[in-house]
Amino acid sequence: MLIRSFKMAALALSGLALAGCVEITSAPPGPFKVGGAQVTLGHEWSNMNAVTPLRSAKVTLLTVDGPLLNRLYISDALTPGEGLVLSAVKEKPAPTIKSGLSNAERIEFVTDSIAALDYQRVQALKPRPGSYAGHPGVRFDISANTADGLDVVGTALAAEVDGKTYVILYLAPSEHYFQANLAEVEQIIASAKLGG
Amino acid sequence: MFSQHRGTAAAVAALTLLSSQAWAAQRPPGMKPLATSPKAGLWVDSDKAELQVQQSPELDASPELNAYVRGVACKVAPDYCGELRLYILDRPYLNAAMAPNGYTEVWSGLLLRVEDEAELAFVLGHEVSHYGENHSLAAHEALKNRANAGMILAAGISAIGVAGAAGASSTQGAQQILSSTGDLARLAYLGSIATLFSFNREQESQADALGFRRAVAAGYRPAAAAAADLWGAVIADNAASDFDKVRKMDAQLSIFDDHPASAARQTALKTEAASVTASGDSGAERLRTAMRPRLVVWLRSELRRRDYGATLHLLDRLAKSGEDLGVINYYRGEAFRARRGDGDLARAAQAYAAACDAYQAYLTKASGAEDAWMVQDSLQALGKAN
Repeated sequence: MLIRSFKMAALALSGLALAGCVEITSAPPGPFKVGGAQVTLGHEWSNMNAVTPLRSAKVTLLTVDGPLLNRLYISDALTPGEGLVLSAVKEKPAPTIKSGLSNAERIEFVTDSIAALDYQRVQALKPRPGSYAGHPGVRFDISANTADGLDVVGTALAAEVDGKTYVILYLAPSEHYFQANLAEVEQIIASAKLGG
Repeated sequence: MFSQHRGTAAAVAALTLLSSQAWAAQRPPGMKPLATSPKAGLWVDSDKAELQVQQSPELDASPELNAYVRGVACKVAPDYCGELRLYILDRPYLNAAMAPNGYTEVWSGLLLRVEDEAELAFVLGHEVSHYGENHSLAAHEALKNRANAGMILAAGISAIGVAGAAGASSTQGAQQILSSTGDLARLAYLGSIATLFSFNREQESQADALGFRRAVAAGYRPAAAAAADLWGAVIADNAASDFDKVRKMDAQLSIFDDHPASAARQTALKTEAASVTASGDSGAERLRTAMRPRLVVWLRSELRRRDYGATLHLLDRLAKSGEDLGVINYYRGEAFRARRGDGDLARAAQAYAAACDAYQAYLTKASGAEDAWMVQDSLQALGKAN
């Protein structure tokens, strides 16, 4: 019944999109706010929020070529109990932030969230100190596969500021698409600020 | 599909009927329908599903593990060994399935939950019995007779829904995960394989009985006892779940029966076990040896289910043999740390300390063991963490 419900929801979403009620919007170059967080986009991205099911309300999904080819997640302040992705079923809860996480656990939170999006063989690579709006955090790279076996890589920054967690996560196929926007993503990560 | 299913009466009837029969399969080895046959579509679907599995990053390519599981399958199914193509998948749910074209999936969640080779032999015997009895063909015919496509889809989903330890340890659980991701391509894959395995309760009970016969013939410990033990473990796994729905799954299925689903099959198999006096091999050590190199990866996948009650219960079962206590205690610690309930961080610290003790004890006893360097590495990592 879940499949039927999901298909009906997808159908309804498609219908709404066709009717113009739901649409992908432009995220133009310049300051871009996600709640209390702000980054600066170097070029135009597409905001996929309206067509992304099971997205946490505190997370925005941007893409250039479509979410299968590149996706940039930018979170607002996540408090304990909140996550990057939502679960459709109670028996398969999505990863959530808990209080008192170490940097290693923040990495685990991000990689588990990626796995919850049905990426497989998700691994964190090269963890290193990072900075989010001047606050210490953890930077790391990611390797994974899609369910069909496509190699995907990524990079992420996670930081806790005043007990709230902020995440910027970029994922793209290793072939061409990751490198194509990496410089832009690095600039976006460096531009992060709070209360902008 | 190896699955929890309902049907006390059917199970008992199937076992009773088979007690006076050989388990010889009806399907001749190498059987394949003509391309022009209406049944050929089922083979096409199976081939497509197999192609997708071959591309899956979840596929475990370890030659040793694949050879081991295939060896067990061939012991219980010497008649079909040549046409059996086995794929081990890193999926933390209890499941095994054999398609009509011979492609067979065994999931890591099953390998973690069988206590010995005899239990694995029973499960593989169960799957081969579906294959040998052409249950997929019968199910396909039944589905074709339903004109409404929606009904066909629903039946396919229903087939998935009864699989494994209903809810958390099942293809239903996997389907729920996939549903939550919105990955339609994978839903299509699961939908397609679901239609291959939509067996009714009589077919499941018959496969239990035939699987039992095959395992006994292969020389395993009273296989029905092994099978009954496995059902008991599945019931206990469900009972330990963090989630009400999973804990109550047996009760929900039992609305149609006098007894819970798994308990019904467990009871039927216990009855059969009592009628067999032959002793046999359990192969517990062989199973653990084959699994050991994959234990860390599989337990990591288990944790990603975030059903910590069920995972801790599984770890308790894995610890019973007294082996691999370093890894098992480490993952106990990981489960407590991730759950972070009242007192869990203290429990995690205790578990990590127990892991250190177990690693140290192993190194003292087996300093020259092949994996001693890895145990030493784990010990050092835990030392740094503490």
